[in-house]
Amino acid sequence: MRGDAGVVCFPLTTEEVQHCVRIAGRHGRAVVPRGAGTGLAGGAVPKDAPVVVVTTKMQQVEVDRDRRLVWVQPGVINLDLTKQLRPDGFHFAPDPSSQQSCSLGGNVANNSGGPHCLAYGVTSAHVVAIEVVLGDGELTMLGGLDPEPAGYDLRGVFVGSEGCVGIATRIAVRLTPNPPAVATLLADFVEPADAAAAVSAIIAAGVVPAAIEMMDQRITQVVEAFVGAGYPTDAGAILLVEVDGLPGGVAAETALVDEVCRAHRARSVRVAADDEERMLLWKGRKTAFGAVARVKPNYYLHDTVVPRTKLLDVLRQVYEIADRHGIIVMNVFHAGDGNLHPLLVFDAREPGVLDRVHDAGEEIVRASLDAGGVLSGEHGIGLEKQPFMGWQFTTVDLDAQARLRDAFDPDGRCNPAKVLPAGSRCGDLQHLDDSRRRQLLDDGAWV
Amino acid sequence: MKIPVVEDELAQCVSCGLCLPHCPTFRVTGEERYSPRGRIEAIRQVHRGDEPADASFIDMMDTCVQCRGCETACPSGVPFGRLMEAAREGLAEATRYQPWYRRLGYRALAVHPLVVAGSRLLALAQRSRLVPSARLGLPDRLPLRVAPLRVRAVAADAPEVWFHTGCVMDAWQRDVHDAALAVLGAMGVAARLPQPNRRGLDGGCCGALAGHAGLIDIARAQATATMATFPGSAPILVDSAGCGAQLKDLGHLLGTDEARAFSARVFDIQEWIAAHADRLPGPGPAAAGADRPVVAVQDPCHLRHVQRAHLPVRQVLRPYFTLVELDDEGLCCGAGGAYSVLQPELSRQIRDRKLGALRRAGGSVVASANPGCSMHLAAAGLEVRHPMELLADALGLAAEAGDGDGQRDRDRG
Repeated sequence: MRGDAGVVCFPLTTEEVQHCVRIAGRHGRAVVPRGAGTGLAGGAVPKDAPVVVVTTKMQQVEVDRDRRLVWVQPGVINLDLTKQLRPDGFHFAPDPSSQQSCSLGGNVANNSGGPHCLAYGVTSAHVVAIEVVLGDGELTMLGGLDPEPAGYDLRGVFVGSEGCVGIATRIAVRLTPNPPAVATLLADFVEPADAAAAVSAIIAAGVVPAAIEMMDQRITQVVEAFVGAGYPTDAGAILLVEVDGLPGGVAAETALVDEVCRAHRARSVRVAADDEERMLLWKGRKTAFGAVARVKPNYYLHDTVVPRTKLLDVLRQVYEIADRHGIIVMNVFHAGDGNLHPLLVFDAREPGVLDRVHDAGEEIVRASLDAGGVLSGEHGIGLEKQPFMGWQFTTVDLDAQARLRDAFDPDGRCNPAKVLPAGSRCGDLQHLDDSRRRQLLDDGAWV
Repeated sequence: MKIPVVEDELAQCVSCGLCLPHCPTFRVTGEERYSPRGRIEAIRQVHRGDEPADASFIDMMDTCVQCRGCETACPSGVPFGRLMEAAREGLAEATRYQPWYRRLGYRALAVHPLVVAGSRLLALAQRSRLVPSARLGLPDRLPLRVAPLRVRAVAADAPEVWFHTGCVMDAWQRDVHDAALAVLGAMGVAARLPQPNRRGLDGGCCGALAGHAGLIDIARAQATATMATFPGSAPILVDSAGCGAQLKDLGHLLGTDEARAFSARVFDIQEWIAAHADRLPGPGPAAAGADRPVVAVQDPCHLRHVQRAHLPVRQVLRPYFTLVELDDEGLCCGAGGAYSVLQPELSRQIRDRKLGALRRAGGSVVASANPGCSMHLAAAGLEVRHPMELLADALGLAAEAGDGDGQRDRDRG
């Protein structure tokens, strides 16, 4: 996925972001925000030479202990924030796999999840207020620090809007207390089906672990080559389960998870002996995507969510689809919430391989939607899943989304090429300026 | 411009961005062009011929400290150091990237008497206030004279090791070498010093600095000459992380079986001592006290990210000192060989982050196993000592220095 940036700006302050946006407007350019560039759906890829506003230099952090929240600028790195809060006993709960690199602004834009969001909720559950620069350069505050802010929850509109509503310049997020006790279990299964069944059984047994992650054999082998965490490379699938809370509860839940896994034919269940071992097990899970070049230099990653009960069924189809197209697929995903991450790995230098990868990807998306799933769990729609939007949403749905977006950004300045496919709007185009209207019509808008 | 890379290695980066926070120049600038991912993309574009090898490209390459922190962070194992050296090699061949005077300078490193004389000249100029040391990132007071290097007398049947002395370090930090030799003596190990070829006219420099600058031919020649100064099969101990990393990689640089066999004999000195710790005299009663010195361990990048042998420093020091760790996961300090002189502004900003990490860690003295890092940090006013100096002190060997009872005294100056 290649981009075409017009001007790249590195603002330090809210005011500078406003200037960037206004100048872009004067020159008829769109504005595309970009954080650390770890996105997986092309949401920050510039199209048609827009002004790219890079937030990496916006690094201020102000902790408000009394309100148990922290104001951050969008460039603050997710893991840096957690590390900074750790001495005081807190952390920022959403922990996407890219947390060592990705920025808070990007987390908000994509409503990022992460292994621990099973128990703690995704980014939207942690964002209290957002200071936003809108497409015309005006500043506004969405949400607020009051327990019950007045009016509609516009904060909820912004979280996950992928830069299409405006640019977040300050974000207030909740501080999550560090759990007093944590246990991480590694369960080793011969059959992926048993692992998938164990996932549902754990939750049915009344435990909501902090995280349940599944890795299949191929990805386990690749990751083990990097971290050397002692993952069983001959296992058909492994589960990484974390329980946390008060020590007594953790001990009881650990025993229960162990029992359920063994009842589902786990060959072994290993509980990490100390923090070092825990960190190593997680490092393996969290660097999985980046490790695939050990097999092939390119990957195409999907992010569909399916009902947990359909996990096994869809997983089988994923393997079958990939095999049929002659593509290697690796699976590493948030099993607890049914969020699949099939990684199609390939070498783009092989002629014709891209077509096969795209075909296989489309079929995987179809299979997930047919099972009652959705297009994206946490990576966003961006450019990459735009063509599939019509599979999930009706024209009425898409039009409603377009109108909501237009309410914030009537001139279509904010990351206009993303998320909604061309032709989503069915309203009249009279209130738009000529160039924008022409562009929409050229793109296939229907009037 | 064709860049002499292995194309599969260049293809190995999937652009995931997990390296970004581990790159010192990305950390201080926040700009993609100063990140490993950005640099790899630039190398790809120039290599494909999509972009010219212009001043902007040279700036992207030149600002890399070559710390290789991105390599330990990379789940796909991209050999970034090789890509960067190849890019610089391509530049050195195709452009005026390395002008004649720099090439001459790198060549001169192999001629040890010249290095020592040059260092003395610089020391004199410093004392006459003719050089802006702080701005150039030079150590405060370079030594005017260097005492002869002295190996300690040990039993006739003592195991034998080679001790690498190097170029600039031997001129500027010979006291570190002396401490290392004192420790080896106390362990009952016979240290042998390399015998420079052609009356000291080459074999003094391992070629690391020339290699990092893209002058591969000079690096290969210097490495070959250095190899010849360590005949036999005894292990070769190195007390400079940068030189050790280079000597361990000669198998790749020279591509010969001889070089691979040579590299297999090379150990960082702490690495070797930790593996032979039974030979160390135990800690005295002073070391057990609650008031023992608190040492902050700074990992040189070429020890942690390249040799991946940073843990032995702790094993060696722990019996004698209270150690504290930094919280920056081995992020570079900005020294980078000649980097602190060539990129003073970035180097200073990178060091500021390291100073913050050192402040948070506490400790009254910093241990650093690489001469470049220690000078760079000392120039910021910290007390920095080599682990070998700390160990020699802890073993009560410091007072012995200069007794003159060595077998093979040699003043290489």
